[in-house]
Order: sequence, then C-alpha cells, then structure tokens
Amino acid sequence: MKKLVLSLSALLLAGSALAADPVFPKGPSNKITLEVWSWVPGLDKTVTAFEKAYPNIKIKILNLGGGPATYTKLQTAIKAGAGAPDVAQVEYGFLPAFADTGGLADLSKYGANDYKKYFVPWTWGQVSPDGKAVYAIPQDTGPFAMVYRDDLLKKYSIAAPKTWADYAKAAATVKAKSNGAVKFGNFYATFAPWFMALAWADGGQFFKRDGDGWVQTLNNPAAKKSLNYWNTMIKKGEVGTLAGFSADYWNAAGAGKLATNMEAAWGPGGYAGSLGTKSAGMWRVAPLPQWTAGGTIKSGNWGGSSNVVTTQSKNPQAATLFALWLNLSTTAITADWNNGGLFPASDAGLSLPALAVTSKNPSKFFGGQNISAVYAQASRGVNVNFEWAPWFPFVNDNYTKQIDRMLKGQLTPDQALDAWQAESLAYAKQNGFTVK
Amino acid sequence: MRYRTTPWFFLTPFLLAFTAFFIAPVGYAIYLSLFIKKRVGFGPAQNVFGGLENYVRAFQDTAFLQSLGNILLFLAIQVPLMILVATAMALILDSVKKGFAQKFFRTAFYLPYTVPGVIAGLLWGYLYSKNLSPLNQITGLNTDFLSSSILLFSIGNIVTWTWTGYNMITLYAALQNIPGDIYEAARIDGASNWNVTRYVKLPLLRPALTLTGIFSVIGTMQIFSEPFVLRPLGYVPDNITPNTYLYLAVARDGNFGYGAALAIIMAVLTLILSSFFLRNVRGETA
Amino acid sequence: MTSTGIEQPQTARTARAPRPSRPPREGFSPLQWGLLFLFCIYSLLPLWWVLTTMTKSNGQLYSTFGLWFASPSNFAENVQLLFTRENGIFARWLLNSFLYAGVSAIGSMMFAAMGGYAFAKFQFRGRDALFTMILATIMVPSTALALPIFLLMQQIGLINTYWAVILPSLVNPFGLYLMRLFWEAGFPTDLMEAARIDGASEGKIFWQLGLPLVRGGLVTVALFSFVGAWNNFFLPLVVVNKDTLFPLTLGLSVWNQTSSSSGQDPIYTVIVLGALVSILPLIIAFLSLGRYWQGGLTSGATKG
Repeated sequence: MKKLVLSLSALLLAGSALAADPVFPKGPSNKITLEVWSWVPGLDKTVTAFEKAYPNIKIKILNLGGGPATYTKLQTAIKAGAGAPDVAQVEYGFLPAFADTGGLADLSKYGANDYKKYFVPWTWGQVSPDGKAVYAIPQDTGPFAMVYRDDLLKKYSIAAPKTWADYAKAAATVKAKSNGAVKFGNFYATFAPWFMALAWADGGQFFKRDGDGWVQTLNNPAAKKSLNYWNTMIKKGEVGTLAGFSADYWNAAGAGKLATNMEAAWGPGGYAGSLGTKSAGMWRVAPLPQWTAGGTIKSGNWGGSSNVVTTQSKNPQAATLFALWLNLSTTAITADWNNGGLFPASDAGLSLPALAVTSKNPSKFFGGQNISAVYAQASRGVNVNFEWAPWFPFVNDNYTKQIDRMLKGQLTPDQALDAWQAESLAYAKQNGFTVK
Repeated sequence: MRYRTTPWFFLTPFLLAFTAFFIAPVGYAIYLSLFIKKRVGFGPAQNVFGGLENYVRAFQDTAFLQSLGNILLFLAIQVPLMILVATAMALILDSVKKGFAQKFFRTAFYLPYTVPGVIAGLLWGYLYSKNLSPLNQITGLNTDFLSSSILLFSIGNIVTWTWTGYNMITLYAALQNIPGDIYEAARIDGASNWNVTRYVKLPLLRPALTLTGIFSVIGTMQIFSEPFVLRPLGYVPDNITPNTYLYLAVARDGNFGYGAALAIIMAVLTLILSSFFLRNVRGETA
Repeated sequence: MTSTGIEQPQTARTARAPRPSRPPREGFSPLQWGLLFLFCIYSLLPLWWVLTTMTKSNGQLYSTFGLWFASPSNFAENVQLLFTRENGIFARWLLNSFLYAGVSAIGSMMFAAMGGYAFAKFQFRGRDALFTMILATIMVPSTALALPIFLLMQQIGLINTYWAVILPSLVNPFGLYLMRLFWEAGFPTDLMEAARIDGASEGKIFWQLGLPLVRGGLVTVALFSFVGAWNNFFLPLVVVNKDTLFPLTLGLSVWNQTSSSSGQDPIYTVIVLGALVSILPLIIAFLSLGRYWQGGLTSGATKG
C-alpha cells in the first residue's frame, strides 16, 4: 500500500513537471534516427530521456569539438550537399554565416514561431532576425560574470572586486604578494566573442544592419577602453594570456596559479567538468566588475548556442521537435544544467528550481553557492539589441591575429582594434557584402 | 596483334583510377576556380563566372603571398638543415662495418617517420605547452614554443623530427649501393677518409640528394596537419602555410572558387620548383 | 609534411652483385659517437615521453616529471578508457585504419605493378608522353586534389562511405614509376620472349613468371602505400564526417579537439596512449619488412 502511494505521488510529481512543459509537436509514427552535432557536455544523458519519451526517434550524437572545429565540418558538409547532420549546435554569432550558406532549414515551416513566446525575448531575435524565418531554436545563453578562487582572495585579503578600478588594484596586490606566481586574471587572446562580451557590457556595438547593408564598428569606444585596460595589466604581468580550455589553462586554474576570470553562464559547468576534483569547492561567482560603482549590474553575453536543422535532414519535422524539446522541456533543461552547466534560453527554464539546487554541479563545485542567481542577475543586465554579421567567422580569426600583434608590442590596443576593423571590412567587401 | 592491346590491358586499372582521382579533380578544380561569389543586399551569395578574377585576387592577396614567404623560409632553412643532418648521419653510419650499434642507430633514427604528421603535431603540441613541456622542466625556463614569433620554427622542428631519419635511410641506402671497386681504386691512390667522402661518396650521392631534396620541396608545399592541430593551443595564423590558408578559404569562408584557384597555383608552383627533378628522372628512364 | 596520398620516394632494388669488401673502420670515432647520440636523443625523446605519459592520469600529467613514469601507474585505466570511451569507438577507428591502409596497399600495388609492367615491357603509341604526364602529377599537392575530389564524390553520392577514402588512395603514381624500374631491372625481356615462344599466355607470363621476380618492388610499393594511407589525414577530414568511418588519425585529432572544449573531461594521457597504438603497426611493419625496403632504396637514383 505504502509502495503504491509512493509511486502514485511520484507519478503526480512527474505529471506536474510535465505540466510546466509546453505542448510539443507529435513525434513520427515510424522509426527514425536523427544525427546531432553538439559539444554540450553530458548531452548523451539528456538524450536518453528524449528517446524514452519518443521511442520512435533514436538520437546519434557526434562531438567534433567546440565552435570552429564543428563549423568547418558543417560548412563543407552543407556545400557538399551531403553528410550534414539533422541538428547542429551553432553559437549565435556564427548563425548569420550559416544562414548565408542556404543550408539551414527555415523552422517557421515546422511551427517554430508558435514557441517564440517560451524563450527569453532577445534570444529569439538572434535566431530570427527578420521576425519571420526562423533559423534555429535558442539553446542557452552566456551572460557574463566573474569566477574567482575564494581561497586565494582570502589568502591575499582581497574582497571580490566590484569595479574595474578595484579589479586593477587587486591584480597589482596579488602580483606583489605572490611574487608574480599567481595571475589575478586571464585574457583569452584567441576568443573574440569573450572580448566582445566585455565591450558589450559597456554598451559596445560591433555590427548593425543599415538599410540594404551593414555597419561594422569593431573599433568602437567601449572596445578601445576595455582593451587598453586589459593590455596594461597584461604588460605588468598581473594578468596571463593562456589559451582557453587548453591543458595549460586547466592546469593553472586547478593549481591555484589563477585567481579570477570572466566567464559566461556556461563557464562554471566547464570548470566543474574539466577540473573534476581539483580545486573543487574553492571557486565562487560574483557579478561582472563595473566601470562605475553602484547602479544596476551591466553585463554582456559570450557565446550561448542555438540548434539549427539543416536542409539535408530527411526528417526536419522530427528534428525541429528534438530542438524544441531539448531547449524547452524541464527534463532536458535540468539535465543540461547539471551535466554541462547550460544556462537555458527558455524563459520558464530560468526560474526552474533545479537551477537553484546547490548540492549538485555546477553549484556544488562552486562551494555550494547558488550561482544561477548571479547569472540570472547578469542576464537581466545584457543589452539585447546585439547583432552579428555573416562574415563573423573571419572577424573571429582576425581578432587573434591583431591581439597577437598587440601582445608582442607591435601595435597599441587602439591600433590593434583599428587594424581588426580595417582588415575585416576589406574582407567583407571582397566577399560581396555591402558594408561601411 | 596482341602486342598492341596487351599493354593497354595492363594499364587500364591504373589509368581508370588515375583519370578519376587525378585528372578529373584537377580539371574540376580549374573549372571551379573560374567562379566568384557575388551577392546583392542580404540575400545569399551567388556563384557567378568571374574568369581569371580569383587568380588576380590571389596574386594581390598579401595574406596568401605571406604564406608563400613562409614556405620559402622553410625551403631556405629547414630543408637544407634537414638534408645536411641526414647526410652527415648517413655518412657516419656508412663509415663503419655493420654491427649492433650501427643497426640500433639506423632503427632509432627512422622511428619518427612512422609517426603520422597529425599525431606528431599532437604530441609536439603537448611538448610545446608551457606548463607541460619537459624541456621547460629540465631547463627551468618558461619558453613559450607556441608564441607566434617562433611558431614557424616550432613547426619546422616537428617536420625535421619526422623526416630527417627517413631521408637519412634513403641516403644511407644510396651509399651502400656504391660499388666497392671505386673505393679500392681510391685506397690504392692513398686517399684519406675525408677525401674519399669528399671526392667519391658525395658526388655519387648527388642523384639521391636531388631526389630527397625534391620530395622535401613537395612535402613542404603541403604542410597542413601540424599547424592544423596546433591551432587550438594558441594563435596560429590563418596563412601560416598556403594549405591552411586555402583550407580556411573553403571550410570557413565557403569560397570554393578561390580555394580551387589557390590549389591550382600551388600545383603549378610545385611543378616549377620541381621541374629539374623531372628532367633528371626522364634522363634516367628514357 | 603531410603524407597524403602521394608516396615518398623509394627506388628500385636492382639485382647487383654484392660489392667487394672495402675497408670500413671497426667502430665510430668519439666525435661520431657524440653526434650519433645527440641525434638519437632528439629522435627518441618524444617517443620516450609517450611511453612515460601513457602511464599517467591527467592529474599526474602536471604533477610529475615529464620524462619519468608515474607511480602509481595509471596505465591500465588509460587502456580501459581508450577502448571503452564512446562505446569503444577507438577499436572501430583502428579497424578502419587497417581497412583503408590494407586495401590501399594491395590495390595500389597491383595497379602500379600492372601499369609499370606495361611501361617497362611494351612499346606503344604515346608511351613516353603518358609516362611523363603521370610523373608530373606527383608534383600536384594532394590537398589540391582533396577538395575537388570531395566535390566530385558528392555528385556521385560517395561522401561518408568507405569508398570515399579508399578509391583515391588506389592511385600511386610514384609506385608506378618504381615498378617500372623494378620490371626493367628484374625481369629480363629474353625470359619473356622465351615464355611467349613456349606458348604461355600474357597473363601467365605476368602472374607466374614476372611477379615473383619483382617481389622486392611489390613489398616496397605496398608498404609505402600502406604508410601513406595510414597517415592520411586531409582526405578523410574532408570526405567523411561520421565517426564510425574515421581512421585513427582523424579520430584522435577530434578527441584532442573535444578535450580542448569547455566542460569536457580532459583525456590527454589517453590520447597519448592512442597515439602510441596508432604508431605501433607501422613500427612493426617497418621492422619486419626492413630487409626489403632498406636494401636498395635509391639504386634507381644512383643508376643515372
């Protein structure tokens, strides 16, 4: 009897969880397999739940590596007209470039617009720039905050900096007290979107549609201010420049050679996954330092992805269903948060109790702090009218070139940004874009 | 009668595959290289006939020309150095009787050749990581081998490591083939060891040296895997080699016409650089 | 230097009398010993690093000295992880590499043997022009071919099939050149004529009489085709994107790339172990077939 009551209540609980989900389109009546390219950590576990809910669909996940590693394969597969997956993960910044290839299915044909209301409004603007055609389903977002080593800051008697002025002061203190053994921060010299998020938080705008063409302003004032700020600390040796997610980076982060870093909402999940037990419990998250003290927290967005369906998919309807389920169902959002630290693009997802659970990763890794609360606050401070251009893949690579020249002392930060602007503009024109 | 058709019977399998996977792709690449990307407003790009426009663009493309410059640097420094070391090792091994030590060194030297380029790049990527490198552990230094100012040399080192032993074996084999009576004559003339090397061995080694040189040129023109796998570890310029540049033109930018034009230019340049080899080989077999 | 498709030079081992003994010294001079040791360390040190690193966990990778083994050893765990990760896909990659390289070795050896035979033993119209053209294509970078091959494959629907990797690897122009040299040196035309007079068919002359005489050439061409296909990276990179079709080189590079994504559990030492597994078959092949390919690598070149 007791057993029956228990299972009944479990059923009820499950029922109430499902009730929060929107009504998804029907699954196919015949057995099909969908191929999905994604680098979301632990996605295989999420997918198992999907296969249970839709027994006719089998999901095959392929992880080809984060970002550009996957994009080059996707680009050639689209061009070849063969070999592309049904669903692929694409960051918002790279979405216009893929829409430009003509290889992405317009999901409005499969009823995607009916689900617009379930997503955080600005994310829908990223996947459907003209408000009609829908090129992807938003997956997660990357509002910016600061992760830091609580133990190190205590050791050097520093409070988590609230302003960039405090941050610079703290960086100098840590360098002096540790004899340079500990870097206070790390500048990702090969990740353009990371730097752009910093400028984004300060009102920087990099691309804008204008009439029949584009305006590109990579060297906007916010970008210049931010780059000058970081370059000063890099030159003093207070801030390192390790390549993100490399063996070297995780080693430094785990060994206490790095005190803080600016990371997007999906970042903490990465720390928990990549560092494992090393430095577990020592990390915390604080809001992004601000240029002026007081006032509301302003933030930018780094990455965050969407799920596209390719025109090569033989089952675009089912692929759309999968993309919707993956990003709107409570089950998926919960699993992706716990396994990969994905900060959902679903509006309801943001207030899911699962995100506030501190006994599970990624919060557990961050000393049991409710980190999603910090990121939710950051999310509200993101400027939502941010646009990307179809030639962004080039802009992304060219950034690393100019920053490298800056780090070698060949260019000042201002010159580096001007060169970034000039070379990217020349490239865009060369490839037939109308751009100023 | 049978003499007229028999050779074609033997040639057919090779020629079929050769036509399908050499002639046809080259022809197709030439065709593709005549198309450029054009677009109007926000619409997707159209491929339109552009004549030789892609070729004109290539020769005005400073990024591409720089990648050719990097190759020239390789040809001027890495290739001669590699062949010099390979020759020296081959001469040393050839100067003594075959024995255990000699066989051990020969084997040790060519082992790196068995490591695929992409695997070699991956392994050296770890050895180059600042905090991981045993070289830094031993010397106590903190050298960043992946810094863009020495990256080209770091890549050159991977290539040298992989191929020196292989070239050494080729040259060693050529030395072993020198008929003994030549040495007899030299000995009767009372030539010193050095003079035997200088006036007997090296001149006879010339054809083999030409061969290794040419294949090094071809290999250098094709460097791709090593910089490709080093890319996630730091800043590796798009145009570190012509091959990475043309790969990105296609796989990142989706510009197949331009990529094809670059491929054709590379093929022609390789042909020119290697033309003296062709003369050499034809002279032999005619 | 990618070894994609086009093979490195190996020239014919011609039948030659053993050379009369010349007076090589008994041993190396101290200077020679020094140089040999230096170069030996350079050649072997990275491989030694592989041997020590494969015994480590990822944590030990940073906390231990790079050139010595870890204690306690993590080797067994690494082996287990290597072969169980992603449902044991690594074993599939290993088999794929054997399939690609094996078919390429046998196929390109046969094509080259037959083609070389035609060029060496027959007079026909356009022979020299054709041969020159084939030789010239050795100079065409294989990457220049890979992209158009990819587009052609797409049109006949071969993308993402075993054939996409195998078919292009069957052409080995340098192998054809080598086989021509071997046929010219190893199979006397008199013997051929005599067999014809005895009424042997052309096929029989080639198969039963000729082939055994150019065994050395066959092994050399097969071995180097095998190595070329085994090491191939660029072609699979563009023509397959299903992980079940990856060869080892591509699979390991993808693992290396995913290891460098945020949130993935880093498996660097497992990748290093995988790298060693990918080299072993070639080391074994070279060591066991050494007497064939080392014997007369460049006699073709010295002949001229």
